[in-house]
Amino acid sequence: MRPRVWFVLVCGVLLAALAGLALGPVRLSPADAWAALWGAGDTNAVAIVRTLRLPRIALGLVVGAGLGMSGAALQATLRNALAEPYLLGVSGGAAVGAVLGVTLHLTASWVQPLAAFIGAAASVTLVLLVARAAGARGDPRVLLMAGVVVGAFANAAIMVLLAGAPDETVRGAIWWMMGSLGDATWTGTRWVALYVGAGGALVLAMAREIELLSLGEDPAAALGVEVERATRRVYLIASLLAAVTVAGAGLVGFVGLMVPAIVRALGARTVRSTIAGAAIAGGALVVAADVMARVIASPAELPLGAVTALIGVPFFLVRLRRMA
Amino acid sequence: MRKEPVLFFSPIRLRRSVACLTCALVASACDRTRTPRATALELDDFADTVRTDTRALRIVSLSPVTTEILFALGAGNRVVGRTHWDLYPDAARAVTDVGNGMQPNVEAVLGLRPDLVVLYASNANRGAAKQLHTAGIATLAVRMDHIADFRRTVILLARAIGDTPAGNRLADSVERSVGAVRARPRPAVPPTVFWFIWESPLYTIGRNSFMSELVEVAGARNIFADLDAVSPQVTREEIVKRNPDFILTGPENAPKLRASPAWQAVPAVRAGRILVVDTTLVGRPGVRLGEAARHLRALVLHDTLR
Amino acid sequence: MILFDDVVLRYPRAPEPAVRGVTLDVSRGTLTAIVGPNGSGKSTLVRALLGRLVPERGRIVLDGVPLETLARRDVARRVAIVPQREEPVFPLLVRDFIALGRFAFGGVWSSETADDRVAVERAAERAGAAPYLARRTDELSGGEWQRVRIARALSQSGDALVLDEPTAFLDIGHEMGVFELLDTLAREGRAVLLVSHQLNLVARFATRIVLLHRGALAAIGAPEDVMRGDQLERVYEWPIVISRDPAVGAPVLVPLRGRAPR
Repeated sequence: MRPRVWFVLVCGVLLAALAGLALGPVRLSPADAWAALWGAGDTNAVAIVRTLRLPRIALGLVVGAGLGMSGAALQATLRNALAEPYLLGVSGGAAVGAVLGVTLHLTASWVQPLAAFIGAAASVTLVLLVARAAGARGDPRVLLMAGVVVGAFANAAIMVLLAGAPDETVRGAIWWMMGSLGDATWTGTRWVALYVGAGGALVLAMAREIELLSLGEDPAAALGVEVERATRRVYLIASLLAAVTVAGAGLVGFVGLMVPAIVRALGARTVRSTIAGAAIAGGALVVAADVMARVIASPAELPLGAVTALIGVPFFLVRLRRMA
Repeated sequence: MRKEPVLFFSPIRLRRSVACLTCALVASACDRTRTPRATALELDDFADTVRTDTRALRIVSLSPVTTEILFALGAGNRVVGRTHWDLYPDAARAVTDVGNGMQPNVEAVLGLRPDLVVLYASNANRGAAKQLHTAGIATLAVRMDHIADFRRTVILLARAIGDTPAGNRLADSVERSVGAVRARPRPAVPPTVFWFIWESPLYTIGRNSFMSELVEVAGARNIFADLDAVSPQVTREEIVKRNPDFILTGPENAPKLRASPAWQAVPAVRAGRILVVDTTLVGRPGVRLGEAARHLRALVLHDTLR
Repeated sequence: MILFDDVVLRYPRAPEPAVRGVTLDVSRGTLTAIVGPNGSGKSTLVRALLGRLVPERGRIVLDGVPLETLARRDVARRVAIVPQREEPVFPLLVRDFIALGRFAFGGVWSSETADDRVAVERAAERAGAAPYLARRTDELSGGEWQRVRIARALSQSGDALVLDEPTAFLDIGHEMGVFELLDTLAREGRAVLLVSHQLNLVARFATRIVLLHRGALAAIGAPEDVMRGDQLERVYEWPIVISRDPAVGAPVLVPLRGRAPR
């Protein structure tokens, strides 16, 4: 069973990447796209594939990996199959951090993810405080409600930060908040990949502890986990992963929700395999969604976050019904 | 004081205008005892009724174009308020700045005690127009997407200040100078241009923008002239596919284009065929439309007139 | 091996302590049962052992070492605790689930060692969970699930075993099975501490019974000494008579009918 999971995931990500190379406003055959990737064939096709599509695919892969791992870790730790960074308001907090960073002129490729991380860590703390105040951290509904409240607060904070900005900046900021891979550059992608890689290594190192946390706080403590400390660490790492994706591609929702469920449905059982699988499946999903964003309304481009939400909301509803 | 009871009909709005006219005539018939003067009505681009039988003396102009037209009509001394972006002509800079022209600060406008507020007819401004009506202030909402709209706007403003002949003179002169550029010899294969407005999301201009029309007047072709939207959103890939000969953009965007790795996918950017446009001149369909067309023709075809 | 020394426990923001001065020593080779009405503080003692609640007064000592000086991993290697409720959200294979008991023995990246494998298999064998190793945790019946949880505790290979109501929701056969297993484990030398509502079974299996009443010790001692009608009537606030088990002569509690609950 295990090898089959990995086979399906790797095939999925390769297919998505190939589609990402071949599809777009300019249709290329897979063979032409492949040739262009190596610099052969029509110069326009080479330019499109190598300077436009390839960085997008790379950014999509790392953003998806970050969102998938963040969602998988949060779901297991919170024992809640509906948990994910976007719905928990973590991404919103990251957006506040990133926008604040921009207004303070901290725009270097390596600073932005950190600014977003501070915002995300603050908002995850806030969500858990709200949920604890309601006396039910484990209750999925209370937790999601807390996430929605914090997300709304984050939106308001961004509007305040943008209050004095010129119309075009506001328009750009709103576009960015809808999520997009359109501004992918190699420099930015390298930083996002570095942070996602670091976060991924940390979260995989904690996989066994997360597995125990997913049993509940008392069983985890019984089996040797320092529950409070481990939980705090998981939230911080999950926030880092989500924040980095926000800095790289804006707000892309529901990926963290769908991807772990897909990986589990394919047969992943342990947290470690779910997280590792979610990294691959997340990349595939984001790249595929980005292809749709480019193709559906061509020559215009849809926001990536709109596409993932269009897929994710029905998915969310089905899961919610299954839980009820 | 010269009064001009004039009715202006836009063909599209003819029916509604007739209806309003009928109502107005009935109303004025009833009101005759109170209002001895005949009432004159005008429909602006919000399809709001505007009285033009009074000469506006304190005008707040909330768009750069209307401000420059008012100055060109010789009514600059009656302009008491402008937006932050109305910097032409130089004399306009002395006028009180009320901030934004879109979703303007109505309180700041009212504070200038205007008798006419000229708005850009965008949906974002409908609320402001309503508030001003409630406050008893006349508004005139105008919209200029096409070069052909210029005459209509100028005439509306000319009537509002009570000087129609000046309006006709101004419209004639601007149309003449645009026509002079249009009459220049056209290349057999017109060069194609991509007009870069804004990155992220990536915007350009479509068929229904006066800027696209200016490109045609100058003897070139906008690669997105097939799109209906005034400012359509497009993708870089589509630009590569349509492969323009030149990129037109403002001075602040040109260095960004040259430095961006992603833009190197566009052959014209790679080859450095980026033409820096004077956006303060070309970016608005105002009294300098002819100058703008000449500027574009000089940039794209190296053909300097006069 | 587990010593509660005059322990006072209070939940955050609670006006009254849930446990007020309990002293109790659980030694190897014995089966100690904590009984008492709902809310008498039984599970609170287990939560203190889990480190989820720090004593306001007194201390908990494991083999002479104060609990608060031990990391949870060190505690888990000495004392295996089976908390009251556990509902897995994401199902695991039974084998992987039992192997989670080995967490305290592993490093961050280390995969399963030969020791781990042996411990898991022996634990499954002991608890009678060996037949379900390849199944998923969400496919088990209540009885099977409790066996699997006990197997996980046994894979921790500590000397002490603490169980909070391990037979809740089990039928008679499965319940007896669990008690027989705990009895065997105690006889083999483990210290077994059990929280239970099943006074009659406890009376037959336990070495010692601890009767809690409103957070304090009401009685402690051999089943014969604790299972007295007057004492239980006072604690449970219900008329009770004590009879005798016809087979081994252990005391049997019989609650009477005929008085409305207060």
